[in-house]
Amino acid sequence: MKTLAKKDIRQALRLWAEKQDVLCPVKTEQGDCIFGTFSEEAFTLDYQKPPLSPKSVLFPQAEIIFDVKNHQYREVIQAKKVLIFGLRACDLMGLRQASHFMMRDREDVYYQAKQNLTSTVVMACPQAQNETCFCTTMRSGPAAGKGFDLQLYDMGEEFLIEVGSTRGGELLLGLPCGEVDDAAAAKQVKAFQQKAIKSVKEVPAVRSAMKKLEDRKVSEEDWNDFGAKCIACGGCSFVCPTCTCFNVYDQPVSSGNGLRLRAWDACLYGGFTREASGHNPRPNQALRLKRRHEHKLLDYHREDIQDGLCGCVGCGRCSDYCPVHIGTLEVVQAIAEK
Amino acid sequence: MLVLDPREVQLAKFADLHMRQAIGTDVAVLNGMMNIIIEEGLYDKEFVEKRTENFEQLKEVVRQYPPNVVEKISGISTVFLKKAARMYAKADKAMIVYAMGITQHTTGVDNVKSCANLAMLTGHLGRPAVGVNPLRGQNNVQGACDMGGLPNVYSGYQPVIDPAVKKKFEEAWNVEGLDDKVGLTITDMMTAAQKGDLKALYIMGENPLMSDPDASHIEQALSNLDFLVVQDIFLSETARKADVVLPAASFAEKDGTYTNTERRVQLASAAVSPPGQARPDWQIICEMSKLAGYPMPYQSPADVLKEINALTPSYAGITLKRLVGGYGLQWPCPNEDHPGTPVLHQGKFSKGLGTFMPCEFKPPAEMPDEEYNFMLTTGRVYYQYHTGTMSRRVSILEREAPEALLEINPEDAKQIGIRNNDKVEVTSRRGSVILKAQLTERVPPKVVFSTFHFSESCINLLTNPACDPVAKIPEYKGCAVKIRRCV
Repeated sequence: MKTLAKKDIRQALRLWAEKQDVLCPVKTEQGDCIFGTFSEEAFTLDYQKPPLSPKSVLFPQAEIIFDVKNHQYREVIQAKKVLIFGLRACDLMGLRQASHFMMRDREDVYYQAKQNLTSTVVMACPQAQNETCFCTTMRSGPAAGKGFDLQLYDMGEEFLIEVGSTRGGELLLGLPCGEVDDAAAAKQVKAFQQKAIKSVKEVPAVRSAMKKLEDRKVSEEDWNDFGAKCIACGGCSFVCPTCTCFNVYDQPVSSGNGLRLRAWDACLYGGFTREASGHNPRPNQALRLKRRHEHKLLDYHREDIQDGLCGCVGCGRCSDYCPVHIGTLEVVQAIAEK
Repeated sequence: MLVLDPREVQLAKFADLHMRQAIGTDVAVLNGMMNIIIEEGLYDKEFVEKRTENFEQLKEVVRQYPPNVVEKISGISTVFLKKAARMYAKADKAMIVYAMGITQHTTGVDNVKSCANLAMLTGHLGRPAVGVNPLRGQNNVQGACDMGGLPNVYSGYQPVIDPAVKKKFEEAWNVEGLDDKVGLTITDMMTAAQKGDLKALYIMGENPLMSDPDASHIEQALSNLDFLVVQDIFLSETARKADVVLPAASFAEKDGTYTNTERRVQLASAAVSPPGQARPDWQIICEMSKLAGYPMPYQSPADVLKEINALTPSYAGITLKRLVGGYGLQWPCPNEDHPGTPVLHQGKFSKGLGTFMPCEFKPPAEMPDEEYNFMLTTGRVYYQYHTGTMSRRVSILEREAPEALLEINPEDAKQIGIRNNDKVEVTSRRGSVILKAQLTERVPPKVVFSTFHFSESCINLLTNPACDPVAKIPEYKGCAVKIRRCV
């Protein structure tokens, strides 16, 4: 197995940054850690769980899909080479599930063009990053099983490097990598993973909630408590690594000229399902929340789940950021207890 | 939770009691509650005796508002009114929270005074989790007022007519002859511009062409100016009329502080850089000042804050050092060792004794009559913000609320032959607007509601510019209109 001294990691990032955009954990002036463009000053290895998953690399918040000039439209597919460094295993699972969904029955050309040019370097989690992490329950972490180009294990002075693809192997060319005996390395990795797994709390409520939903034991009234709380901000969808719903809209500039765009959407908005007549099949917030959580926990397409448990990857961001405390953790807990 | 609102607002669903008063009858309802509280001996006798004055006069006035009289004025039943009075008076802690529904009336000041009377009568003041709490429509209304964004005061409400205050600012700014006369309010300015008395206007972050009442009058007023400067983050309806537009930085592109409704001053930092030529407001003002021959010495918002500390007693202790890394400080905070003041009027009112200021009920300036037979009340919807300069650029929000709707009670709609989504023309004595009808029981019979977010159906073409005589706030919450189905 390959190794890389920790002191050489910046050299690796510099080298990669010559050939593509490198997104990595950066510390902002205000002290937040986010995925941002690599720079010597801002790059940090001292980060937990960035507030947003890197899904916007493949699925931007808003992107132009048609450009209309003189009544003629032209498709716009934007993509460039990107390397995402330091994403967590849960976020990689998010990308894998989203990617499968976007390609399953019809290729989403905008997504695919970006995916073809995106490399991933996962940083395996040495421990739970905060109290809302539940990747072990969701089978998405703390280390990634597959789907990455490279995966790094932080062993203190050096990283052990797992190569997940040909592209991953090529990324290592020209780097001052070392080599350790595979069997010894495998042992070290196993110990690392076991320690990490122990630190992530299991959430048995997930499985019991999934079972109850499957058995149709959760009544519509049970969702009313959540519906009364929800302020329909849509934040849970925007931070969710597997939420990929979008709205398509036009920005007219003048007669015969303008743009067509798509932008992130959320099933918690009334307009998501409102029909032209004004009728809405999901007329209240309780039913919208029911739909959102049933989709993740019950109805997620079997093929899209990949190696996970369901359509939630257990990153815990919805529980971190929901202003009224109805993230997935709170919802499954409440359902399990009903 | 007790909700007092003519409309069935979202909050009403959560209320223990929702009372739907007739538009503009708040003083009568509040007097009615006080009548019951005094009648049933539910008031806080100790608080009234030790902390207040003018109780006899209050008693005198509210005596004329027994429940049956209030029911006649407001439409609220005696049973509800009694229940409400008892709920509020008997509660261990009770807070009054209000917004524009109380202030945007020709009796706005009376409405606020009546809320204060009710809180003092029951002793729900000067402790945590009680009090009279006006919610602001924007995150920094409090801060703008605190900094003297008013025609009569410098920062910290120091009066411009006070010679000592004048001298203090003249010395600090190294100038002579600061104006010691009270200036014009926004509503006064528009009238003065229309008359030709006001020649030039410099508007920052405001869109009066959409937000002020009687919009056609505002249009004339702005057209009549010799020179109009607008500083904003987008080209608003008002900015389109300007001779010069100064592009400003948005909230996410500048450093500084905001002061919220609980007087808490909080630090905000830029997350992204301003696009193009846009810059933070303070920089634009400094540049303007330099060009006008008075260079200002500030290099950063921190320098401005230092001057605020030096010249504003209530902000003296709210320094940058203390704001960094904390959750802000609440004024008054007179020095750097002071912890700030989360609760006002503890133990003693800042003026000494709290004075009851009883008010008589006065109806809105314009009531429905035979021709203009509906009352129009205006407000907002959840998905749009004010005149839409920001929110109408967001595709998802546009999908949620793409156009102005006229909420009308199904009973009324049936009578004049209007179906859901029919186009209707709404006309007041000042103008006409065409928009879609939405049949809903959120509004009571004979009342219609719409929003001021949409320039395509600018609802302020209809509203009445009649103002509260003291605060000069217009009566957005009620004017008479007639409705016709468009064919």
